[in-house]
Amino acid sequence: MALLGETGRLDRRTMLKGAAALGGVALASPAIISARGETPVKIGMVDPLTGAYAANAQNEVTGAKLAVSQLNAKGGILGRPIELLVEDSANDVGTGVQKARKLTERDEVSFLIGDVNSAVAQAIAQVSNEKKILHIVSGGHTDTITGKDCKWNVYRVCNTTTMEANSICSTLFEKYGKKWYFITPDYAYGHTLQAAAEADLKKLGGTTSGAELTPLGTTDFSAFLIKARAANPDVILVLVQGSDMVNCLKQITQFGLNTQVHVAGLQQELEALEGMPPEARIGVWMFEWYWKQPGVSGVDQFVADIRKVNNGKVPTARHWFGYTSVQTIVGVANQQKTLDSLKLAKALGNFELPPEVRLQPNKCYYREGDHQLMTSAFIGEAQAEGKDDPEDLFRVDKVIAGDKDAPPVDETGCKLQWPA
Amino acid sequence: MTQLLLFNVTNGLIIGAFYVLMALGLSLILNLSNVINFAHGGFLVIGGYIAYSVTPYVGFWGALLVAPPLTALIGFVVERILIRPLYGRDPLYGLLLTFGLAFMIEDGTRFIWGAQGKPVSVPAVLAHPLSAQFFFLTGYRLFMVAAALAVVALLFALLRYTKLGVRIRAGTLDLETVSALGVNVQALRSLNFAAGVFLAGLSGVLAAGQLGLEPTMGTGLLMPSFVAIIVGGVGSLTGTLIGGLLIGVASGLTAVFLPAASEAVIYVLMALILLLRPRGLFGEEGMMT
Repeated sequence: MALLGETGRLDRRTMLKGAAALGGVALASPAIISARGETPVKIGMVDPLTGAYAANAQNEVTGAKLAVSQLNAKGGILGRPIELLVEDSANDVGTGVQKARKLTERDEVSFLIGDVNSAVAQAIAQVSNEKKILHIVSGGHTDTITGKDCKWNVYRVCNTTTMEANSICSTLFEKYGKKWYFITPDYAYGHTLQAAAEADLKKLGGTTSGAELTPLGTTDFSAFLIKARAANPDVILVLVQGSDMVNCLKQITQFGLNTQVHVAGLQQELEALEGMPPEARIGVWMFEWYWKQPGVSGVDQFVADIRKVNNGKVPTARHWFGYTSVQTIVGVANQQKTLDSLKLAKALGNFELPPEVRLQPNKCYYREGDHQLMTSAFIGEAQAEGKDDPEDLFRVDKVIAGDKDAPPVDETGCKLQWPA
Repeated sequence: MTQLLLFNVTNGLIIGAFYVLMALGLSLILNLSNVINFAHGGFLVIGGYIAYSVTPYVGFWGALLVAPPLTALIGFVVERILIRPLYGRDPLYGLLLTFGLAFMIEDGTRFIWGAQGKPVSVPAVLAHPLSAQFFFLTGYRLFMVAAALAVVALLFALLRYTKLGVRIRAGTLDLETVSALGVNVQALRSLNFAAGVFLAGLSGVLAAGQLGLEPTMGTGLLMPSFVAIIVGGVGSLTGTLIGGLLIGVASGLTAVFLPAASEAVIYVLMALILLLRPRGLFGEEGMMT
């Protein structure tokens, strides 16, 4: 029964053309922060300001901008102002590469930062390597970036997926049991995170009950959860991130699955916890950085500074990633008194972050062999409501130093090839 | 295994019911106004955010009543100002306009409410599963299906038995004659557009209860709705209804065997339908020009 009849000039082909057009991407102009009138030193930043990781990306950019304004007030980079050029990768590899090329070729940036998405980060590392410029991966976690695909010019601030797994798997095993079921995002990050967790689980004597590879941007997790429940695991580990994490945990708690099996995960972020209702904030997780660290030097000041530029809200790990990425580049350039990427990349091996940048109790340094920052893992439990502050949604139980949970360099698969 | 399949078919129907709600709105606008409304996902998001903003004052049920008409009002204004000048032109103009509008709405919501997702809770009375075994049948999901069914029944009755409905149906067949008979076609189109956007707004309020409310949430829901229309057959509301349910079930069943393909399967289904029956399951002969 067709209630409505002929549609006139509109046909199916037009509909299909329209559907194809949805794949198109808008190019936005870069947001520019400039300092004084002298020739500035340009730093390019590529991050997914739109798409599933938009909140994380915007926070990285806010952190980076704070670092730029603070450093410019202190004399900039080698006495020249720093200019940050931000481009949106739209959570898409092709767009990310295009933007990285635009920044390096047209804007002639001296350094590159980005991306939140592992796959995009990996792809733009190819571009920065080809252009021979120092590149700091701020927030893409997949192992291979500082593993088998490591590059002389690429350093990374956030944890590797193996570091994340190593920091928390024994805690999860002791607390929840030995049969694990994974809800994993189907791209580079998810694949390596699950592999690392399974390797740890095997060492601990546990078994994988099953794993669901879910497409990035999945809105409805019910079909996966039905399968997960049928496998009868001790714990369901949620590895998806961003809005996928919010959707998944929200649906888990509405289904009451958390009353039947344990639910936890590996990496958790404040952005996701804030986006879900209180009842969905459950389980043990690892945070890569947390804003409440009583007695740790500089943290309160950083929190106060971010609040000023972030509508009064506290910094997340992402703010710290962006902040640290800029601080790393400028710090090492001012120390070495050069903008030469090769010299700076050499100097960053074993470069230690000063207390006002590291903002955590443990020593924090880039490892020479794989260019990975040895940064801490904050292990604890999600809290439904903040006690003193509505944004205090995580209780930190222990902080593990990065070099305690990172595998030795020879196990990462990284073999750095330096230019002649 | 049988139980798993049965669970997933039921679950697929629930998801499909939601796609139907969204796709019917699209279909209404498409049929009468010849506009492929790419901003439909955006209107869904607006509905969700309006609900989020009014919930502290009027509660969830109040938001459910208030947000869809307010979204429809925005749709009405958009039709008057932006869509109306494009009638009579190639449908690609409308498509491009709404495509751009979708970006503007996404960035607009990000500007007003922030990129950070907003927490939305569903009423406690609906927040529980009916039984431990059928955990995926929560009060809220059944409510969503009931709401979708009620709206579909209402819409069909409206189109069949009211003067406005008859005019809308007549308009989709031959707008010129309807106009010659003295019907205010402009007003008819505005009302029809607003009704379509009303359905998007309602979908937004319902979705916000189950998904994370953030500026991009509409994008993920828009494509399945388009697929539902193409599978069901452009021009047929019944087709849209069946198409929506079909892709929900296909997606649910694929998740059992090949989870990573659970999203791709709906496009495979669309490709198959287009190959075997190019006008869609319920599309009428000769409708495609």
